[in-house]
Amino acid sequence: MTNDPWLRALLEGAAVVTALMTAVAWITWLERKIAGRIQSRLGPTMVGPFGLLQPLADAVKSMQKESIVPRDADALLFWLAPPLTLALALGTAAVIPFSPGLLASDVDIGVLYALALSGLLSFPIWIAGWASNNKYSLLGGMRMVAQGISYEIPMVLSALVPVVLAGTLSMGGVVRHQAEHGWFVVSAPGVGFVAFLVFLLTALAEGNRIPFDIPEAESELVAGPTTEYTAIQWSLFAAAEYAHSLLASAIAATLFLGGWDGPVLPPAVWMVLKTGALFLLITWLRWSLLRLRSDQLMSLCWKLLVPLTLLLLLGAGTWVTLAT
Amino acid sequence: MTPGGYFFGVCAVVAVLGALATISARNPIRGAMGLLATIVGIAGMYVQLSAQFLAAIQLIVYAGAVVVLFVFVIMLLGPDAHGADGGKRPGSWARWIAAPLVSVLLLGGAVLLARVSTPQRFRAAPPGHGTIEAVGGDVFGRALVPFELSTALLIVAAVGAIAIARSRATKPSERPASVGATRRLFGGAIHPRDARTVDDEVAR
Amino acid sequence: MQSWIPVLVYLAIASSVGVVMLGAARVLRVRARHVPPTRAATYECGEEPAGKAWIRFHPRYYLVALVFVLFDVETVFLAPWALATRALGGYAVVEMVVFVAVLLLGWVYAWRKGALRWQ
Repeated sequence: MTNDPWLRALLEGAAVVTALMTAVAWITWLERKIAGRIQSRLGPTMVGPFGLLQPLADAVKSMQKESIVPRDADALLFWLAPPLTLALALGTAAVIPFSPGLLASDVDIGVLYALALSGLLSFPIWIAGWASNNKYSLLGGMRMVAQGISYEIPMVLSALVPVVLAGTLSMGGVVRHQAEHGWFVVSAPGVGFVAFLVFLLTALAEGNRIPFDIPEAESELVAGPTTEYTAIQWSLFAAAEYAHSLLASAIAATLFLGGWDGPVLPPAVWMVLKTGALFLLITWLRWSLLRLRSDQLMSLCWKLLVPLTLLLLLGAGTWVTLAT
Repeated sequence: MTPGGYFFGVCAVVAVLGALATISARNPIRGAMGLLATIVGIAGMYVQLSAQFLAAIQLIVYAGAVVVLFVFVIMLLGPDAHGADGGKRPGSWARWIAAPLVSVLLLGGAVLLARVSTPQRFRAAPPGHGTIEAVGGDVFGRALVPFELSTALLIVAAVGAIAIARSRATKPSERPASVGATRRLFGGAIHPRDARTVDDEVAR
Repeated sequence: MQSWIPVLVYLAIASSVGVVMLGAARVLRVRARHVPPTRAATYECGEEPAGKAWIRFHPRYYLVALVFVLFDVETVFLAPWALATRALGGYAVVEMVVFVAVLLLGWVYAWRKGALRWQ
């Protein structure tokens, strides 16, 4: 490898982004297959064996279609929103350790960085909803931001539980601590496990996944903030949503399930397995559950999750103090 | 120029353009987007100055929370915030005099200051400065009392704001025009829901 | 700064992905020969759009954002605390219990006043 840090970063970054976008393309296939099976259908079968080439066909199709900007829309912000959303969704991958050596950078506040980006994610989607100047879009966008900011609090608080237990904010440090002292999902009796569940829930909410998908409830808001979007711009939003689900699974696996830590198999394989398992869980939930109403979402967050995670955090602090 | 120099350049351009958009945009939402750009640009500069924790706070609190608050206030004001007169007020010739005048004064002042004063040389920050550990040590050690007091300040701010917002929100809710129109058209509520409550999201 | 170089470069690459895809679509797109006048109309389930969407919204959004800012500032204080717990021991826990207790007073007030209710 070259010694110039900028060139090195460029090559590594390009590799990570390529791998991620490829993964995103094919988990759309995976999700459609699973969704089909859950609904007693076959899912995509026509393009390639088992429909495996479907993502490629979809990509070409969405690029050929015409991007329509509504007459009353704010064209500048309308165009800006999709690439911005995708950038933020992909951005968190910079600090996720896929194996002890395979990590873009182990910055000392990696956890905060990932949380900050993921907290900003609902904003470009709101911009999309506002710029469309469509009632469904704007209502969806408002709901999305209200939900996004509400669930950001329990998400950050539950993600800080592993930080307290490990005593570091670096993603690599959190995993190394787990490799030595056991996974956080089982340590600090109960606290780690509940924090893990809360983190998964809030990750679903941040990604507007069922049961938290009221912002794009198709029965009342058509397609929520992305109602006016067509062709490649719509695909960018879809890619961002899948990338966010995938990376949220990866972050949950890193913070609570020991990341790359595991016996026999190479570390990277463990990381992929854990991330994949969590993603499958999210997909399973998506195609099994109903959606919550706005007011139910808000009470769940503010009246239960926020005080619960605060107590969890104090519990984790007490546990660490008693253990040392 | 070093890569770091380019990075500073990008951040500075983003911040300044964002600031220009904030003050010059007709549309308040575009202004808020400009503010967002400024905040992100400044966060980039914090990273370059090895103040990573400050950069993270900048993104979490300012970009993630304060801008959202601004935007929701703009949405609360509704079209009134968009300037119904399109910004064309009588007496707008005053700005054609005032704006260049203030600009020239500011620029002149800056140039004068740069000429007169000797450049201040700052020592390099000690290693570990600006890391989250250093901040934590200060906050929970030396600055304990201000830290605990800050929570009281937060509470006072929240209580005041909630009190103001509630007094407005608990006014007898006015029906949105759409429901009224429906009722006039059909001579009564066409759906049991319309008889009781206002429309789902829209207040007026 | 050194450890941030990969992150910044990565962010730049991640930002360019969407732009590159938009550019590729520019090249590949198939233009319609005939553009009906309703093509660029705002979608409203086939109806003529009634007015603009940029309307006044309910104050409850503002209230949620307000309570959010309160708790967001608090989480920012919790991040250094999470690191300091080991070093400062039980002292840090007591400090944070006081902080959180006062904060929960505000939370109870917000609940009592209905700021947490999504009416």
